This record gives sequence, structure tokens and C-alpha cells, in this order.
Amino acid sequence: MQRSEKLLYLLMTLLITALFITGMVLEGPLEVVMQVISLQKESARLINDFTLYGIGTAMFNAACVGVLGLVLVFFASVSLSGPTLSCILTMMGFSFFGNTLLNCIPLILGVWFASKLARKTFGSYSLIALFGTALGPLVTYIMFSLGLPYPLSIPLGLLGGIFVGFILPAVAGSMLQLHQGYNLYNVGFSCGFIGLFAANLLLAFKRMQAITVTWNTAFSLPLVLLVPLFSLLLIATALIVDKPKRSFEGFLAIQKLTGRLPYDFFDTGYFGGTLLNIGLLGLLYWAYVLVVGGPINGPVIGGIFTIMAFGGFGKTLRNTVPVVAGVILSTLVFGKSLTAPSPLLAALFSTTLAPIAGQFGVIAGLLAGFIHLVMVEVTATWHAGLDLYNNGFAGGLTASLFISILQWYKTNRPKEDFTT
Amino acid sequence: MKRKDFLGRLIGEVTNFLLEGNPLRLVVSLHQEDDGAHISFFDDRPRSEEEIKRIYNSLNPRKSRPELAEYYGLMAGHDMAWDARLKLIGWQIKHASVDNSDSGLRIDLWLGSDAFNPDHFTLNKKEKKK
Repeated sequence: MQRSEKLLYLLMTLLITALFITGMVLEGPLEVVMQVISLQKESARLINDFTLYGIGTAMFNAACVGVLGLVLVFFASVSLSGPTLSCILTMMGFSFFGNTLLNCIPLILGVWFASKLARKTFGSYSLIALFGTALGPLVTYIMFSLGLPYPLSIPLGLLGGIFVGFILPAVAGSMLQLHQGYNLYNVGFSCGFIGLFAANLLLAFKRMQAITVTWNTAFSLPLVLLVPLFSLLLIATALIVDKPKRSFEGFLAIQKLTGRLPYDFFDTGYFGGTLLNIGLLGLLYWAYVLVVGGPINGPVIGGIFTIMAFGGFGKTLRNTVPVVAGVILSTLVFGKSLTAPSPLLAALFSTTLAPIAGQFGVIAGLLAGFIHLVMVEVTATWHAGLDLYNNGFAGGLTASLFISILQWYKTNRPKEDFTT
Repeated sequence: MKRKDFLGRLIGEVTNFLLEGNPLRLVVSLHQEDDGAHISFFDDRPRSEEEIKRIYNSLNPRKSRPELAEYYGLMAGHDMAWDARLKLIGWQIKHASVDNSDSGLRIDLWLGSDAFNPDHFTLNKKEKKK
């Protein structure tokens, strides 16, 4: 294991430990464990803010899911680097409003079965397995919200999760071709696609309930401090490990990358520069939420964690800002509030489209962000909130539209043709 | 079908890369064995040492990345409109050699199962070690 990888393990262990300890301090060791056990029974569809069950509970839950991700990456014999770090931090972020150990494990198990059938190592499918936990709400919805007796519904939810995980590698591979790597949350796109079928199947059985939004607006100091403290830890590590000059040099070099999938920023050789990028992304978008007056709650933490997660695998300050600006513009044009749940989360999660701005420029990024908000506000109802990465689903649709048009234009220019 | 799809992706991506140089001549040669294959690409555009090094590094990543190869590697060879990305196939092959032949660039890809041994091919051993 390389030194940089050991450092990433250390940083992640520190984050997870801090969440465990804070959770226990806030709610008491026994109480927090009981609360997290009770949290497993939540259907967890969008948007269910787990901080409403207790700030410590949400933090403890995120730490549990983080341990699951970290252990899987370690035993799958894949390196902890940009892509795997993005999975673990994203899962942890979504554990503030949807992911639990119970709803993650059946999906991961399903992907494991698929890897066995395809005679591949689990490591080969590890990214799909970890990101595939986006469909966690499907598992717990079937288990606890269908109104069936538990001896029937729990095995049904388990089997449903395994089945969905099993087909996920096939779907994810195909969806990648649609947008050609310009939507960073490709598994979210794939899960939305599968979620459409699952939701409509449940609807046909008259077992699908309308989605509801639970959204914590109360101030919590531990939650407010979580992102800046972690960001500062990353920035300090960057400056100590790689020296300030080299870290800034790396940071500037990373800003020039398009971010199109798959680009592991740690492969540039700028370890410090990549950590600096992650830390500054965290601080910037945390500040954005505070400036517009939004609450720092579970889903918002999830959004900022996801931006940071991809700070080593596609997102930079340069390629995210135009897309977020597009969402802000769209919010204002359509007379919505910047602090309402949907526009606020769309601003954070729209950065899934950052590679469009990185490759095609600011205007393309603005346009993508503008359209993204319009789409994301309706897509959650299509899959009934079963896909936690709803912005990945909407982003995939937007990216596919953009790429098909740009591809058609590029391949039909007269100068590309033979001369007559 | 698995092998056909895999070879098609590799050939597609390298061909995409070579066509970006607008060559007047491009040759693809495939030699398959039960446990592996060797694909050679030739064009008529010699490259500088620096370019050859860059291509070589893209095709021979420093470490194995199964998590990227099996998933994102599926994008290889599917997209001719945008810039070619040789690293997509670098993760999926055993080894690549890159050099200037008499007429232009020559790229050799070696791929196969764990049992595959490139030494069984009768090509110049010195070239394979590049």
C-alpha cells in the first residue's frame, strides 16, 4: 500500500471515528445505538432527513455506513483513491438522509452475485456495488412500508434488493454509453432507471405511497461545524504532506482537467493538490449554503459531502461553479426560493454535470445547470423517491441530451467530410 | 461474444486515437490464441519521443485498477466523436509497446487470461520489452 493510500485510510478513519464519538456524546452511547437500530426501519425514500431523529443518530449512522464502505474497499483489494473515496464519502453523505446498513447490504450482495456470475472479482464491480446503495430505500420500503406481515415483507425486501443489485452492473454499463462519462453520478442515473420500473410495479399493485419531504430547519452546531472541520483537516494535511507550493501547483493543474469520467485526480501525482481541491470545494459550497440562508441539515450535509467525494474524481472549483450558477439562475428565473429543499439540493448535487462545463465551457455548464433544476424537480416523483441519487438520474438525462446534440453537431460539420 | 466485444472495444479506441492524426494509411493486425491475443496497429505518422512516451504511459498504467477497467472500460471504443482515451484500455490489457516503425507509429497490445504468456508469440522480444 502506498503512502498516499495509507494517508487516505487515516483521514477516513479519523472522520468516521469523529462521527462515532460525536454521535455517542450527543445522545449517549446506548441511546444512539438504539436510535440507529430503530432508524433501520425507516423507508428512507426522498427526502427523509435523518437528523430529525437526532443529530447524533444521523452521525452514528453515517459512521456505520462509512465503516461498511471502507471495509469493503479494503477487502475487495482495490486501492483507496479518487473513485473509491468518492463512493465512501457519497454513501456517508447519504446516510444523513437515506442509507442505512440494512438497506445497503442486500444491494451490495446482489452486485457480488453478479460478479460471481460474470466470473469477475468483486473489486471489479466495487464502485457499482457501493454507489448502488442509492436504491437502499427500495429495500426498506418493501420491508417496512408495504403493509405486509414482516415474515413475508422482510425476505421480500431482501430478495428485491439482491435482485436489483444483481442487474445493476448490466444497467450501469449501458447507461454510461448514453452520456459518455459526462454525468458523474452514473450509478444514480442507472438506479433512477431501475427505480422507474420498481415504483410503477408497486403502483400497479397499489402499494406505492406518495412521497413526502421531512426537512430539518433547526440549527445544530455539530452539524454546521462538520464540513468546515473536515475540509480544514484535508487542507492542513495537503499543506503538510506535499508542502504549500507543490499543493497549490497541483491544485491549479487539477483545475485544468475536464473531470469527464473516469479521471482519478490522485493519478496526476498531486496528492496534496487533490486534497486541497476536496477541502476547498467543501468550504466553498458550505459557505454557499450559509450565504443564501439555507439550513445545514442531513440532506444538505449529504450534498456537500457528495461534492467533496468527487473532489478527487471529477469535480473542481472551475468546472462546478458554472453548473451551480445555472441552477441559481434557473431558481431565480422561475421565482423559486434558493433555500427551498429542491433548489438548494439541486444547486449542490447539480455538480454531477461538472464535466460538461469542464469540457465545453462556462455557457454549456450554465445551460446544463439551468435545465437540470427543471428536470430534477419532477424526476423524484417518477421513481417515487426510491433512488436517493435523484440528481444523478436527472443529470444523466440532461447530460445525454447535451451529448447527443453536441455529438451530432460535431460529426456533421462539413469540414469533417471528404472533399468532393 | 465476450471476446469479440472486448477486442472490438480495444480496436475501436486505438483506431479512434490513430484516426485523430488523419493518417493516409492505417493497418490493424490481430493474432488470437486460446488464452490471449496480440493486436498490432501501424500508421504512417511517425511521432516524437515525447509523444511516444505519453502514449506508452497511457497504455501501461502504473498500477492495476480493476474497479475502473471493468466498469468505465466499457466506454472504450464506443465514442468516435470525442478525443480518444487510451488509458481506458490501458487498464484492460496485459502490456503495450509503442515505437516508431519504418513508416510511422506502431502500437502492440497484449491481452489475455492469467495463463497468457506473450513470449509464445514469435515477435521480436526486444520490442515487447519497451
